Amino acid sequence: MFRKVTILLSLCLCAGMLRAQDFKLFDRNFQIHGFASQGFVYTDQNNWLTMHTSVGSGSAQWTDMAVNISVPVTDKLRIAAQFYDRNLGQLGKWDPDLDFAYASYKFKPWLKVRGGKVKTTLGLFTETQDLDFLRVFALLPQSVYPIDLRDSTIAHEGGDVYGDIRLPNKMGAVSYTVYAGYRHDSMNSGYPYTIKNLGVNLTSYGGLQYGGDLRWQTPLKGLLIGASRLDQDTTGVGSLPKSLFAPTGNWSEHSNSAWTNQFYGQYARGKWEISSEWRREWRNEEIFSGAFAFVTDVRGSYGSVAYRATKWFGAGTYYSHYRITDEAGAFGPATTGATNDRAISARFDINRFTNIKVEGHFMAGVGLPADYPDGFYTNVNPQGFKPNTAAFVLKAGFNF
Amino acid sequence: MRKENAVKHLKKLLAAAGLIVFATVSAQAGSVKVIANPSVKADSISVDELKSVFLEDTNSLKDGSHVEPVLEKGGATHEAFVKDYLGKNDSALQMYYRSLVFTGKGSMPKAVGSDADVVAYVAKTKGAIGYVASGTAAEGVKTLEVK
Repeated sequence: MFRKVTILLSLCLCAGMLRAQDFKLFDRNFQIHGFASQGFVYTDQNNWLTMHTSVGSGSAQWTDMAVNISVPVTDKLRIAAQFYDRNLGQLGKWDPDLDFAYASYKFKPWLKVRGGKVKTTLGLFTETQDLDFLRVFALLPQSVYPIDLRDSTIAHEGGDVYGDIRLPNKMGAVSYTVYAGYRHDSMNSGYPYTIKNLGVNLTSYGGLQYGGDLRWQTPLKGLLIGASRLDQDTTGVGSLPKSLFAPTGNWSEHSNSAWTNQFYGQYARGKWEISSEWRREWRNEEIFSGAFAFVTDVRGSYGSVAYRATKWFGAGTYYSHYRITDEAGAFGPATTGATNDRAISARFDINRFTNIKVEGHFMAGVGLPADYPDGFYTNVNPQGFKPNTAAFVLKAGFNF
Repeated sequence: MRKENAVKHLKKLLAAAGLIVFATVSAQAGSVKVIANPSVKADSISVDELKSVFLEDTNSLKDGSHVEPVLEKGGATHEAFVKDYLGKNDSALQMYYRSLVFTGKGSMPKAVGSDADVVAYVAKTKGAIGYVASGTAAEGVKTLEVK
């Protein structure tokens, strides 16, 4: 373990020598930025997040990085793009992804548009969920921001209309976003990995998605409240061994109805940040061209408190609750599973660009790992699950 | 009678405390002046507009002048400006800019090391707007009144 941690920290410190680049081209100011992080996880029971975290001295198979270029073409037009790559246990597998690439145009502060591959606005942190250097926590509450299911909500290829409206009589300001586009999941993400347990080898997964977000910066300084809605029309295609259920060996699934509602509030004042969110995700999938229906109802919520004590130290804690219900159907009676996670975190900033985080998680329950991904996977826990899991997380990162 | 006296004393105490807080905030705000490149047409700027410029919500003023912010990397002037006009501390501001950069919504603003560097940069850069300690000599730039 000591060796892994030493290597991890050395890599990050060396990488921290990188610097942002500014340059002029065609009389425009281009900027190049990037970030990278390396995590280590040890659990006392159950392998977590597709890593072999409870085997030997834990796992350091948690690396991510991104490089970003942007240019303001005019006062109203901006172009930006970012490449992202990660390896998280059995997910990601260093397959680089165009994280976003879009042009945005501002007609008025209350009317802006962007088009291309765009990060999806959903709740407080979906757009910034990979940017852990913005927060005290190494892992966001997994009930609402599951790192293994990042692909399902992170971005869409399409367009957004958005804007900010200052309200009269000092009633604060509202920001809105409406969007539509297509979602394309990597085959190295959590859902394809989960259904490998059924012998299914997905070759594509994704589809249309549309939704909106409305947030109100209230007259009480620092208090933000909001709500998001996301509708998805997804299709999955793949193969599986021929059987009575699949005589052709072809797998197809389609969402009859798939939506997510999210409500949130945040109070950020001085050194304090208090956040809370509630998310409900509903999936009604038909499988084998409608031969079977499968209904999943996932509810997640959390409350977190973070305190930035000094420029070099911050601490935080959260309680996260996840509950999944598979409704009665062709595969059997209704089943329910839950995970409660109590986390405590400390962040140390070596300088403006490099930080180290130490975090503890005390989890009860593992959800329903055979049915739907939730951090705990039967693929890496063939021996079965223990009811409780304690996790030690160490993460170092830098950005430039 | 005693109760009335106590209430009077409490009111005086609160008024004095309020005055002290007001004077402290005013003194801090007064310790910084906002400067701009002569290409900026405006002679004054509202606190809301100043905040919008430095938080990259806008890159032009009401009169149509193009503006781009320049910050100091640290120090008392920077801390006072960020706290009094942007309502943040330096750490929160840096996180804010990073969130803009890594979602494609904004750029990292220019940051320089001292008041003299700010004056030099603002003087030579069309549309630049910055802040320096109120006693700083500001040749080649204009001082904007903050309303």
